[in-house]
Amino acid sequence: MITIIIKILINIPFNAKFIIEADITIGFRRELTMKIQKLLSASIIIGSSLIYMNAFAASNQAYSDFPVTLKDYAGKKKTSVSYSGQATRQVLHNSLKSLAGKGTGEENAELKAELLAYFEGKEEGRAILDPTTKGAFVIKQSQVDDISKKKNLAGKTYKGIISGWPGNLTGPEVLKFMIDKASSANKGYDPLVGYDYKQLISKFAMGAVFYNQAVDNYLDEKLTAENKPNDKPYKEGAYYTGKEHSWDEGFGYFGAPAHTLSLTPKEVIAITKRKADAFAKADANKDGVVDLKTEMAYAHAYYAAVADASGKTNYLHTITKAFIDGRQLISDAKGEKLTDKQRQQLMAHADTIETNWEKVIAEAVFKYAGSTYKDIQKLKATIDNNGDAKEIFRNYAKHWGELKGFSLALQTGKNNLGETAVKLNRLIGFSPVLLGNTQVSGIDSNGAYTQKSSETLEGYMLHMLKVQKLMVDTFNVKARSNDGLAKIGDLSKKLGSGKSAEND
Amino acid sequence: MFDISLTNIFTEISDGFLNPQKRVFVGYLLSAFLIAILWSVFMRKNSLSISLKEILSPKIWWSTSSKSDYKIFAINKLIMLLLSPALIGRLVIASGLFYALYDIFPSRPIILADSPQWLIGAIFTLCYFLFDDFARFYVHRLMHIWPILWAFHKTHHSAETLTPLTVFRTHPVEMVLFSLRSTFVQGMSIAFFVFFMGERADLITVFSANIFVFIFNILGSNLRHSHTPIAYPKSLEKVFISPAQHQIHHSTDIRHRDKNFGVVLSLWDKWFNSFHHSETKQSLKFGITPKVDKQNDCIDKSHTLNTLYLRPFYDVTMIAKATLSKRPRYFIKRNQNHKHTINT
Repeated sequence: MITIIIKILINIPFNAKFIIEADITIGFRRELTMKIQKLLSASIIIGSSLIYMNAFAASNQAYSDFPVTLKDYAGKKKTSVSYSGQATRQVLHNSLKSLAGKGTGEENAELKAELLAYFEGKEEGRAILDPTTKGAFVIKQSQVDDISKKKNLAGKTYKGIISGWPGNLTGPEVLKFMIDKASSANKGYDPLVGYDYKQLISKFAMGAVFYNQAVDNYLDEKLTAENKPNDKPYKEGAYYTGKEHSWDEGFGYFGAPAHTLSLTPKEVIAITKRKADAFAKADANKDGVVDLKTEMAYAHAYYAAVADASGKTNYLHTITKAFIDGRQLISDAKGEKLTDKQRQQLMAHADTIETNWEKVIAEAVFKYAGSTYKDIQKLKATIDNNGDAKEIFRNYAKHWGELKGFSLALQTGKNNLGETAVKLNRLIGFSPVLLGNTQVSGIDSNGAYTQKSSETLEGYMLHMLKVQKLMVDTFNVKARSNDGLAKIGDLSKKLGSGKSAEND
Repeated sequence: MFDISLTNIFTEISDGFLNPQKRVFVGYLLSAFLIAILWSVFMRKNSLSISLKEILSPKIWWSTSSKSDYKIFAINKLIMLLLSPALIGRLVIASGLFYALYDIFPSRPIILADSPQWLIGAIFTLCYFLFDDFARFYVHRLMHIWPILWAFHKTHHSAETLTPLTVFRTHPVEMVLFSLRSTFVQGMSIAFFVFFMGERADLITVFSANIFVFIFNILGSNLRHSHTPIAYPKSLEKVFISPAQHQIHHSTDIRHRDKNFGVVLSLWDKWFNSFHHSETKQSLKFGITPKVDKQNDCIDKSHTLNTLYLRPFYDVTMIAKATLSKRPRYFIKRNQNHKHTINT
């Protein structure tokens, strides 16, 4: 490319008629050519080194090392970045999920107490159940308190009514209810109603805690001029300003490693799965251990990476970049109150984060509606052939749990989804459609599920397609994993472009 | 929004020649060329050099008419690049119809559930081909019998020398119509088949092109727009349109007016009374003659871009004026004329 440009630039003056007509001697021409060549090579070297430096700077951008800007700060802290409370909650969520699959099918008070300790407890001595060291993937911390003390999930759970779940319960009540059921279910699975509590708890908590806290609180209410101003510490005695810390908390809830911009989506997926060969990529500071505070990938960042691995989206980097740019903006204010203009710019970054984050969850809803659709297809075929549908039904429940959890998560964001939420909840229902064409309809006074007759399995398949359509129409999702209408796209491609309008 | 650049246009054009889904794919052009030579040497008993001279004659390839084809080809690519994002997509139609079918058949009956995959593929490919070919025939027929559309279709018929690139000599309005036609046919076929046959619906392809499109094109479809009047045996011409039959469609002879609208199959023309066999020792003059009164049906042989692109709009206003005036002479005459041609 560059050589072509050079050739063109050098040749143009001598090909142009007017210069040839001016009868320039060959010697002069040569001299001129050499001068132009020198000039060009010099500018190309300077230009490309600038580009290289820029690229290097970009790839080196991390959510770390932003200096302390708080006026009159006399302590020893070098950086004002702090989101260990959020990292703790990521670990609490991971551990809770892992525990939710530990039931044996019998009532188990001990397990219930343990689950609650990770959900609403704040006590010392809680071990990190996930992520733990796995082979060569060595993790620095082993106790929850090693990251940050006295943290829980319940206190940060969305307090509104969750209309997509039976019983008219608030966010924390839904999670507690599910935890109770999970403690007595076999590996978190209730075949009678098709619930996989491990998935339901995990995906709903991701929305009701992380997503809600970030987009509805830290990137929303805390960004007003009055709340948490930048010329004051976040709270008394803190070494970070109000805006610095609000922004950090938002980033912590997203769950991306600080050095995400130097990682590909596939690497982030491998890090979340603690693959041995991803260790070097995760250990950004090369201290031989993965720090759960800054180097691990969790929850939403993982699902952003999953969508991006399709190559059709770029959520992970877009969101991380917006977080870093916003943090830079706050840092650049040097401990002064943000001007209206600065705040507007910050809100624009927040908006980028929110819209893309919402899409990440919508992509997951799309994906699991697709897997549920495929499961029903398999289920029907197996039943028609009198096969054993047990295992397929188990998968159906698992994928449905992810679908339901993400669909509830989607409704805990900053915006009231209105009609979209109503449609989503009605299409999915309170439970998967069961083999006798029934669905959970509510919870009785003893906390047991009631059922009523529902759609057929075929009808429910259409619901799944409509859920996918709703995600496309409302959120314009692009990765579209497990697209139920993929065949339409395939055939369309095969038929070739209709653009050429040749006629006879 | 619109990513229009020279590279884009270049890719569009080169894709047309390198993509076996397109009529002017180099492979098809080459096969047409070979067929033309063989025909000239063996059927017409010409020497090879005379055959080559005739086929590659600059009188055809570098005529005023053909030169305007080339210009239109390039300009239309640009216009289509600008327009295509605004046109409705087949995916929109296919998925919309797919959901609509669910409303009519809530249990989504899967038909031919026990048939093998290849059979379903064959059925889809055949049905799509028949539907598409009929739709092409029908829209083309409308372009001829509806005066407003004829005003635009004249751009194509004003060609006096025919080369494979004449296929692109179309007015943008016609391009849009044909593009929408293709979109609807594809969208509908896909929706119906995916709905009733599920994942098994498939298209049988050769070199990524629909097998029927491939066969049609490899057998010399490009000779339809050429001066090589290859005819088929009469019995075959009743089913498949020969290049010579399509050339009759372009003939200025009054006897050939509004004949042979079809693309691959001539069955449609049979049914709609517009069928015409090729003729022995066929030597035709291509172009347009006034169909009705000269006032409203302009015959301009200048081949300027102005005439080819803008004249149709003028014609349409004239037709509109005539329609709005007390005596819609144009329509009366046009209809009489049409009946007349069909009866002869």
